[in-house]
Amino acid sequence: MPSLLEAFQSQVGRKILTGITGVLLVFFIIFHLAGNLAIFGDPDAMNSYSYFLHQFGPLLWIARIGLLLIFVIHAWIGISIWLKKRKARPVDYKVYSSKGGPSKQSLSSRSMAFTGVVLLIFVVFHINTFALGDMGDAMLADGTVVHDVKTLVIDTFQNPLYAFGYTFVMILLGAHLGHGIWSAFTSLTLRSKKASAVIYSIGVIAAIFIAVGFLVIPLYIYFGGGCDAALIHCN
Amino acid sequence: MSDMTINLKIWRQKNTNDSGHFEDYILAGVNEHMSFLEMLDVLNEKLIKEGNDPVEFDYDCREGICGSCNMVINGKAHGPKHKTAACQLHMRTYSDGDTIVIEPPRAGAFPVIKDLVVDRTALDRIIEAGGYISVKTGAAPEANLIPVEQDVSNQAFDYATCIGCGACVAACPNSSASLFTASKLSHLNRLPQGRPERSKRTIAMVEQMEKEGFGDCSNYAECEAVCPVGISISSIAEMRREYMKAIF
Amino acid sequence: MNLDPKIPSGPLESKWSTYLRDVKLVSPNNKRKYKIIVVGTGLAGASAAASLAELGYNVLTFCIQDSARRAHSIAAQGGINAAKNYQNDGDSVWRLFYDTIKGGDYRSREANVYRLAENSNHIIDQAVAQGVPFGREYGGLLDNRSFGGAQVSRTFYSRGQTGQQLLLGAYQAMMKEVHSGKIQDFPRQEMLDLVIIDGKARGIITRNLVTGEIQKWEADAVVLCTGGYGNVFYLSTNAKNSNATAAWRCHKRGAVFANPCFVQIHPTCIPVSGDYQSKLTLMSESLRNDGRVWVPRNKGDKRPPNEIPEDERYYYLEERYPSFGNLVPRDVASRSAKLVTDEGLGVGETGLAVYLDFRDAIKRDSREVIEAKYGNLFDMYQNITDENPYEIPMRIFPAVHYTMGGLWVDYDLMSNIPGLFVAGEANYSDHGANRLGASALMQGLSDGYFIIPYTIGDYFAREKLEKISTGHEAFSEAADSVSKLLDKLLVIKGDKTIIEFHRELGKIMWDKVGISRSKEGLESAIVEIRKLRDEFWQNVRVPGDKNYYNKYLEFAFRVADYFELAELMAIDALDRNESCGCHLRDEYQTAEGEAIRNDKDYAFVSAYEFLGVNGKLETKLHKESLNFEFVELKQRSYK
Ligand SMILES: Cc1cc2nc3c(=O)[nH]c(=O)nc-3n(C[C@H](O)[C@H](O)[C@H](O)COP(=O)(O)OP(=O)(O)OC[C@H]3O[C@@H](n4cnc5c(N)ncnc54)[C@H](O)[C@@H]3O)c2cc1C
Ligand code: HEM
Ligand code: SF4
Ligand code: FES
Repeated sequence: MPSLLEAFQSQVGRKILTGITGVLLVFFIIFHLAGNLAIFGDPDAMNSYSYFLHQFGPLLWIARIGLLLIFVIHAWIGISIWLKKRKARPVDYKVYSSKGGPSKQSLSSRSMAFTGVVLLIFVVFHINTFALGDMGDAMLADGTVVHDVKTLVIDTFQNPLYAFGYTFVMILLGAHLGHGIWSAFTSLTLRSKKASAVIYSIGVIAAIFIAVGFLVIPLYIYFGGGCDAALIHCN
Repeated sequence: MSDMTINLKIWRQKNTNDSGHFEDYILAGVNEHMSFLEMLDVLNEKLIKEGNDPVEFDYDCREGICGSCNMVINGKAHGPKHKTAACQLHMRTYSDGDTIVIEPPRAGAFPVIKDLVVDRTALDRIIEAGGYISVKTGAAPEANLIPVEQDVSNQAFDYATCIGCGACVAACPNSSASLFTASKLSHLNRLPQGRPERSKRTIAMVEQMEKEGFGDCSNYAECEAVCPVGISISSIAEMRREYMKAIF
Repeated sequence: MNLDPKIPSGPLESKWSTYLRDVKLVSPNNKRKYKIIVVGTGLAGASAAASLAELGYNVLTFCIQDSARRAHSIAAQGGINAAKNYQNDGDSVWRLFYDTIKGGDYRSREANVYRLAENSNHIIDQAVAQGVPFGREYGGLLDNRSFGGAQVSRTFYSRGQTGQQLLLGAYQAMMKEVHSGKIQDFPRQEMLDLVIIDGKARGIITRNLVTGEIQKWEADAVVLCTGGYGNVFYLSTNAKNSNATAAWRCHKRGAVFANPCFVQIHPTCIPVSGDYQSKLTLMSESLRNDGRVWVPRNKGDKRPPNEIPEDERYYYLEERYPSFGNLVPRDVASRSAKLVTDEGLGVGETGLAVYLDFRDAIKRDSREVIEAKYGNLFDMYQNITDENPYEIPMRIFPAVHYTMGGLWVDYDLMSNIPGLFVAGEANYSDHGANRLGASALMQGLSDGYFIIPYTIGDYFAREKLEKISTGHEAFSEAADSVSKLLDKLLVIKGDKTIIEFHRELGKIMWDKVGISRSKEGLESAIVEIRKLRDEFWQNVRVPGDKNYYNKYLEFAFRVADYFELAELMAIDALDRNESCGCHLRDEYQTAEGEAIRNDKDYAFVSAYEFLGVNGKLETKLHKESLNFEFVELKQRSYK
């Protein structure tokens, strides 16, 4: 009987870990998305959300470290699976194609490692831009002074490089999740053959929603002209 | 019914250490009722008469049940048809002038022996690790003592029909043997007779699969698409569940 | 030569239990000292190997395929018989015994067949415990289907893949012992000779099919489970690697070959479509439960079947055998198909086929019902022929399927060479002149699980076996003779391929030693076989070399052996001046074409001793007479 540590390093254990971490990351980004969409809310919504999070102090740091750990584990296993496939097939096919039917091979599933790595790089930039970026202060309606994330976001996305870069990465996120959500269900032991087709469709739809949810923000800000945009309410 | 001419591009490899290469052949007089393997027989007859080495490929039953044949035809394990082993594929699937590329099932765990013939004993070693119920001859109780729900028995049968061809490995972008392993687990772990050993069996077979150098499963489900008996990837999900139960 | 079957005395019901009571045992400590070679990993070999290893013997297994699991047994479809009487329809060990003896047209040993029937029930228990998923009823208990030649429902099945499931059960049991270290498994190794030392079987010579190396293996006993020789006919339902070589090599080393001419020809196979055809596919016998067999009444009627009106259809089985109709036994159905096609009434492009029509069954029961029963078979048919059997009648024709003959064995399943045991289709033991459906699986497993493990112990306990090694000169002599033969085949470099020779041999056999045989035909067959054999040794072209993987060299070796066995089959058929079971001699039939058996002169097992091949096969016939103490011999009638 392997110890738990050994068990989670086995093929099956690793796959279950990618599944768990993948799902946690999905929960995280949904949460994150909800926060982002606050930009369309009343003028203070986004900043007070950010303030709300900061009030947790050390707890926030624990959450951040946890999240980082999840990211690292997820990325580590994902990349190691990808690296192992070369070893498992030293001589590749000259001609290879999917047989279709029940196969879930697609651009999305075959590029998990690529989209993943881009996401990883993106996250570093992303944290650098938004979490560690230079922020002014803003005053909420009740007089509390907070970091002005909202202005930072709006300013950043006026820059076409940021706006389109971010959009592009969000499309890749959608691609990652297009296979990823269904895959996580299967990794986490979805057994029914019939449900699998349904879940695959749900997965793809959810992936599209998430990706679109994220990418409307930069595009809207860019094309709408920042604070001038109709749905964005600046103070 | 007119005869066809088929262009073949076949992987030739003298032995495991040879690096191998493709060779082109033009085969005339191919009849649409021929099976794919019969077409290769005809090619070999021609090669032998011309004094060349015939193409080696594995087969035995030619009925889609022994699992010997497993070649990759135009990039697809067992060829283009679903739920059809290479030996059950017929030339009527092709048309005059088509080019067909034939490669061995490729995986590090399946070293090439010659041409399209590979060594698949790694699959036997996975069964050896635990793919059985430990009952000695003579120790069996009366067969009807343990009723098994008809549904459960039918499902066990569906998983037990794996013919051990290794197409799942051949087609998997990661060269994973998960479908093969999981189908045996889903067969045995499901039956009351197989319950007592299920944890031990699951862990042992999963460990062996890794030891043999098969890759991880990324849920591509390509295995299900090429499986000549249509084993479902839900068995792989089941294997993970069994594994979780086993380690906790 | 004294062919003593060593049948225990006493009443039929207690022969086997008496044997078991008196059998000598080997102590667990001593079992460890014995090494047993099992050649072949089909149902017989895998079950024997697993059971022997469980007892503590050291077992070496060999097979041709890349895995033990791929043995030809994997292809068996229909089912396996057992006298469980779960249906409460009056079945019993006696009845299964009786049906098998009668089905074999009284050309098998009562004692062996009775033991087979007794063991049948243990086989089902064993298989279920191993996890074999047999068909079950709603209540969760085991289901049965009916099969030809029996009036009870006693056939256990796993959909259309019973052989596969039973073999996987036995294979897994074998792998369990590989894991425990008691079995060493050697796939892709072909046995090419038997090694005899001091008159006892002490080892084998194999060719490693991957490297081409000739290897020597020593042991205390050899168990041959190498299957049947139906492939002598070139086209048959057997797997491509099924062959006679191991048995034939043992025969050449002194093992007596029994009833070589008893070959079963299965009535419902997919017909030949062209010269390139490499094997024939069986369509389960069960189809005759609902399909009606017919041909057009008028010669040369080339209309599509559906346009031929009812009164111009000749339902020949129903007309000739009103009480059994389409459900006559296999031999009768095959013979009738040959009769009508010989008359020129055959259908299809080649004229070598008859219709199996489901039109009326579909009308009666609906397409859904028929689909539920036979869907997978219909799909298989459509896949191969590209015709839809729901709309166009199937075309079927008989094909060589099973060989009842094989190496002679006594009650212990030991050949006349001490230490050489033979099990499964490779021996001749239980099916007489005709095998009933679903009884080959039963026999292979009965031999392997429940007979060999005891009888081999008895042999060890009785015989003192000297210690030997592969250094013994008998090993080098055998290995050299194999190498020489391989070289001999390789240097010919003639113009005709192995397949061309094999196909020609098959045609002679099918035409003259097939469904029906005549003195004239057999005599000319013998001449033709000899001629073709001489030509083979002068003009065959074997490609490549012997020191690497070379499938065609394997085939060449096997075809060389078929050429000798074929002659023996014809000699035996010529010698047997009667019709019995699958052996129909034109001279011995009634005016309506029914077989006439001759119990007075031919109630014996013909057992041939090999003397040599010198242009012709020299052989000596021995007879083991069959004494029927418990059943009365009757003429079979299915009218
Ligand atoms: C299509 C089909 C359907 C059938 N359906 C049924 C059915 O429904 N019910 C039934 O009872 N019977 C059925 N039979 C018959 C039955 O399947 C066989 O008689 C039986 O399986 C034979 O088993 P075996 O163990 O004796 O030999 P096999 O299964 O033939 O095994 C032979 C083994 O010997 C090995 N071998 C052979 N030669 C050598 C050598 N020289 N060196 C090393 N290894 C060697 C092979 O590799 C193989 O492992 C069917 C047969 C066919 C063809
Ligand atoms: C926003 C962040 C991310 C989310 C929401 C996410 C989500 C997911 C999900 C749900 C899966 C499916 C899990 C499974 O198959 O069991 C998955 C798989 C995968 N992820 Fe991510 N992921 C993210 C970031 C990353 C990163 C940063 C990488 C790596 C660099 C990565 C690499 C992979 C790979 C390679 C797989 C496929 C694993 C396999 O082949 O089995 N992902 N991801
Ligand atoms: S699971 Fe399917 S593809 Fe894989 S070995 Fe079994 S039969 Fe072949
Ligand atoms: S040759 Fe047996 S499955 Fe194809």
